[in-house]
Amino acid sequence: MDLPNYLMAAPDGIPWLTLLLLSPLVGVLLVGLAALLRLDDRVVRLGVTAWMGVPLALAALVWARFDPSLTAAGQGVVQLVEKFPWINAIRVDYFLGVDGLSLPLVLLTVVMAPVAALASWDIRERVKVHYALLLMLQTAMLGFFLALDFFFFFIFWEFSLVPAYFLIQSWGRENRHYAAFKFFVYTMAGSVGLLLLFQVIYLAMRQVGVPTFDLIDLGRVGRGLPVEGVTGNLREILFGYMEHLGVTNVLGRYPLLYTSIAFWAIFIAFAVKLAVWPFHTWLPDAYCEAPIAGSILLSAVMSKMGAYGMLRLMLPLVPDASQYFAPVMGGLALVGIVAGAFGALANIGGDIKRLIAYTSINHMGYVMLAIAAAAALPGGATQDSRAIALNGAMMQLVAHGLSTGALFYLAGALYARTGSWSLSDFGGLRVVAPTFAGVMGAAMFANLGLPGLAGFVGEFFIFRGAWATLPLFTALATIGLVVTALALLLMFQRLFLGPLNEEWRTMPDLRPLELGTMLPILALLLILGVYPAPLMGMANAAATELVAVFQHILT
Amino acid sequence: MAFFLQYAWLIPVLPLLGCALITFTPLRQSKAASGWTAIVLMGVAALLAVGLLAASAQGHTLYQGQVGQLEVASPADGNAEAYAQPFQFPEPNLVQRFAWAPMGDSVFSMGFYVDTPVAALLAMVTITSFCIHLFSLGYMAANPRQSRFFSFISLFTAAMLLMSMADNLLLFFMAWEVMGLCSYLLIGFLYERPQAYRAAVKAFITTRIGDVLLLLGLVYLYTQAGSLAFGNGPGEIFDPELLQRLGSETGFLGLSHATVIALLIFAGTVGKSAQFPLHVWLPDAMEGPTPVSALIHAATMVSAGVFLVARTFPIFTADDGTALLVVSIIGAFTALFAATIAVAQYDIKRILAYSTLSQLGFMVAVLGIGGWVAGMFHLLTHAFFKALLFLGSGSIIHAMEATPKIAALHHKDEYAAQQTAQDIRNMGGLRTRLPWTFWTYTMGFLALAGVVPFAGFWSKDEILADAFKGGHWVVFTVLALAAFLTAFYMTRQWYLVFFGAYRGDTPVVYQNPERAAHSHHAHGHADHGHEHDDHGHGHMNTGAHWHEDPRMIAPLVILASFAVTAGMFNLPFGGPIGHWLSDIWGQKAVAFSFLVAGISLLIAFGGIAAGWALYSKAFSRADERDPLDLRAPALFKLLHEKYRIDELYQATVIRTTALLALAWAWLDRNVVDRIVNGVGSVTMGVGKVNFIVDDTLFNDGPDAVADGTVATGKRTRRIQTGKAQDYLVYVFGGALVLALLWLYVL
Repeated sequence: MDLPNYLMAAPDGIPWLTLLLLSPLVGVLLVGLAALLRLDDRVVRLGVTAWMGVPLALAALVWARFDPSLTAAGQGVVQLVEKFPWINAIRVDYFLGVDGLSLPLVLLTVVMAPVAALASWDIRERVKVHYALLLMLQTAMLGFFLALDFFFFFIFWEFSLVPAYFLIQSWGRENRHYAAFKFFVYTMAGSVGLLLLFQVIYLAMRQVGVPTFDLIDLGRVGRGLPVEGVTGNLREILFGYMEHLGVTNVLGRYPLLYTSIAFWAIFIAFAVKLAVWPFHTWLPDAYCEAPIAGSILLSAVMSKMGAYGMLRLMLPLVPDASQYFAPVMGGLALVGIVAGAFGALANIGGDIKRLIAYTSINHMGYVMLAIAAAAALPGGATQDSRAIALNGAMMQLVAHGLSTGALFYLAGALYARTGSWSLSDFGGLRVVAPTFAGVMGAAMFANLGLPGLAGFVGEFFIFRGAWATLPLFTALATIGLVVTALALLLMFQRLFLGPLNEEWRTMPDLRPLELGTMLPILALLLILGVYPAPLMGMANAAATELVAVFQHILT
Repeated sequence: MAFFLQYAWLIPVLPLLGCALITFTPLRQSKAASGWTAIVLMGVAALLAVGLLAASAQGHTLYQGQVGQLEVASPADGNAEAYAQPFQFPEPNLVQRFAWAPMGDSVFSMGFYVDTPVAALLAMVTITSFCIHLFSLGYMAANPRQSRFFSFISLFTAAMLLMSMADNLLLFFMAWEVMGLCSYLLIGFLYERPQAYRAAVKAFITTRIGDVLLLLGLVYLYTQAGSLAFGNGPGEIFDPELLQRLGSETGFLGLSHATVIALLIFAGTVGKSAQFPLHVWLPDAMEGPTPVSALIHAATMVSAGVFLVARTFPIFTADDGTALLVVSIIGAFTALFAATIAVAQYDIKRILAYSTLSQLGFMVAVLGIGGWVAGMFHLLTHAFFKALLFLGSGSIIHAMEATPKIAALHHKDEYAAQQTAQDIRNMGGLRTRLPWTFWTYTMGFLALAGVVPFAGFWSKDEILADAFKGGHWVVFTVLALAAFLTAFYMTRQWYLVFFGAYRGDTPVVYQNPERAAHSHHAHGHADHGHEHDDHGHGHMNTGAHWHEDPRMIAPLVILASFAVTAGMFNLPFGGPIGHWLSDIWGQKAVAFSFLVAGISLLIAFGGIAAGWALYSKAFSRADERDPLDLRAPALFKLLHEKYRIDELYQATVIRTTALLALAWAWLDRNVVDRIVNGVGSVTMGVGKVNFIVDDTLFNDGPDAVADGTVATGKRTRRIQTGKAQDYLVYVFGGALVLALLWLYVL
């Protein structure tokens, strides 16, 4: 297949992304094989953890082959593209590729999956199934970030729920049935609109002679960039199709109306995943009730799928409606930031996982704010400001993934030692477990945005970018910075400071394996905090091109 | 000399290295090894900083990296009214920059920017910090976590140094926040004590309130200027055209951009330099070990706030004067406000803490009336004598804790023992018992009180002269009053500590409210947390054994020499060294006036005389009432309770925060989630109907597996009852179907 200049296949002809995508699936088969051979569970957990090195290595190779500075025809060049027809009848292509928006999240996925595997070390029941589910979840998440055809994109999106559901359902805590069910149904219900929308978009595109599910092309059509065989932008095409159906006679001849409907279909699907207020209530339950590996993958990677979906679908496909509703998104983001922060504060005497879950809502609020700000009306903002907001958002996604993953991991390690999740059961643990306290303190400070660690870079650039278009929301969002810090510091205090709760006098400190798991994460947080260029440089070109469209008033 | 410029980056890196070495290598297992590592590295950094100062003062320059846009304007010409003129920075001596992060089509650069004021600050910080490190070797010797202590104070100093050298406000802010972290760690160093960790959280959160406003200020400035880099050139934040525009365009609430940005930046100073109304954390920060107090109060954290205003001064002067007016009001108010509180405290460290607040108020106030050099000058001199006073108080407390009464108490309640040892009512007559401490402390006292020719006199005189000559009568009067009180409360402290009879045999014992709560021995007394235990001088025997540790005396002597001489860097006369700082910093000082100097001296001696008169006859026993308390009990109580500001915040801000947390939690549980569950139940109801229909029509169909993507309610309920293994089959099935599809299509 001839590729336009904004798509670039791997120069060496090797299907790197397919290999990356299949590698965890092969791991699943290996687990199946291990089950047939009746291998010991310990072999399986060691084998799976080691096997996760394969996707990690492949992703590193992908990164090495990726040139973040390439742009062409108004967008960052999608690289290592594999594209060939799959289902000709509905023009579905097998289409994988990475650009600056997806590669950071791919890397995050392959880094956090081994952490989840290591966090499952203490699982004793149905170990093989557990690890198989982790690998499947990893496949689904990688597929979601790599697929660029809506058909596969959506399959991976929905498929990711299945292993996550079973993880919560089978290895979770007391309330796991409710939490798993809520998590599954909420996300699925949220994405119904998305599914329907793409049927409509497909039909509308067929109407103008170019039926497609190609997300890159649709994104280009949405932004009015040239695509071979297409004239006009998606807004006109949708409107034309509605006219053709006669819908405009009923609902009115307002092109923005139809893109707005499209906007809400996309927004709600991804807002649920990103836990934007008020679609966030599944999150504390799911994070809380999931087994530790589930909490890590849900918080560190799955919630990022929502943000990625907004960047991949919402902003490019319906830029006009995104711009129109940017203040609404910003407002919801602000409420989420404040709600998450105070929600966390309300849990300082309660469940440690619930507290961390609420800080996640707070942190994802910043990401939402950045996306809203990138799309908001010009108001004199430069393109750089918008790009900075998105760069900051990418940084925040990765930093939050790492730091929250680490916090959940440590909370799990604490539970494994004490059998308690309740913050009121602890106190003074720093005396008996100084390394534990140090590592958790570092993860906590990374999470609350201490400069020198990655979280701050994300937050600073989000605030910088958002100030240019949404100054009021940005100013009020600082409440979240203070209150989240307070909640996390109080959490730390209740765990580690004060007189020792004598019950834990013999609690062991962090074991070498646990320390070995955490140190790379902390090192990454430190490196990215001190020198963020590798990560921000990855996203910068793609983000800059993506926001160019918002420099004009689109409505 | 080029060496010092080229390797200036080592100044923050060496203490950072010390922190890393102590934290991550086996060095941490040895108190002495970790201590000396930190001290030696700090000492080398101090030498480098002094070298850098010399190189800068001689006008050597070094520009490296992306500094092509750097255009240096010549310093403003001499002008008698220069303090009223917009301030212009002296030419930088060292600029090194490298690309840090891409920002759309531009790049954010990071690096170092050193001019002579920065070089002077670096020298001050490294020297005081070196002394504090040295002091800690003796003072913290009995603490089992001494290694960690050295690691923290090294990091603290490194952050301060990095902040001073930052070439842009973002790096400045980053280092600034790392200092916030260090203050959290160090104030809460004795973390078994509830008072300590509460104070630590209070310090971190209170300063963070200022910090997020500062962050907004940076974001605002960055948005307007497109850069955060220091410098006068185009694309840098002190570009005259940019400042002109910021000062003339309206931003928010009818204020100009420059005003809003400056006030947001100033909010950071209010937090960090503990100005009213965010001053509440600093006195509580006394919960940290005494060297920490010295570090926070003198060399690092609180100076950082004042330095921030000094560093971004052109933005403050870019508007119509509103920003500077606020600065001077807050500063002058804090100067007097804190001085009045200090009058009624008994805790030797708390008196010094409030005196720090007050002195910082002086600096902020004089910056507010345009006296840039005076503010920076006082910052430098104050750092020396305040570090001296804190370390001296440490020496006193150290000795007091070894007295029999307090040592006996120590075994029952460590915290109460420490508080009792810090109470000046329990001291008295220490002049002969601790002679080295007495003499060095006296130098610090005279410098703080503003007696000629000690350092504090010259810098305080310059502040008062700026206010006087500039016609800022309100500021002048308030500061003069505060200066009087300073001399007064310092005399009170000095007299009660060193003169009269020793009262520690019948001490006023501190009642620990935490102890009332936990009657049992919860502090894990046996194996940790003994800050000053085991002095090794048989303190249970007699009270006659007073001892001054040479490791603690040496730094006192070094600092005392600076307390005496630091004023000579900017003597208000002509001659070879007169006006030296003013000259190299490019702001002409006001001419020396015997009138102002006379007033200033009169104030100092007046305060000392009043203090002497009042306290030389007071406190024959520790539990006597304070003479002021006898004369004006209501006022004294109000001052002693610090105007009850903490209680006010407790009742308003903190309670509101707690209520909001509860409200949000309630809202989530009872409104948002109830809606979600409601929608869920309705859907389930519909699903149930659907289930019946489905069940009767399609149950036996072969497509029972394939319809998986459709029926959520039905499906999930089935799943819930099954075992996960069964359902993995479905997942495998799905994958298989996809694989077949792929093969088939190809």
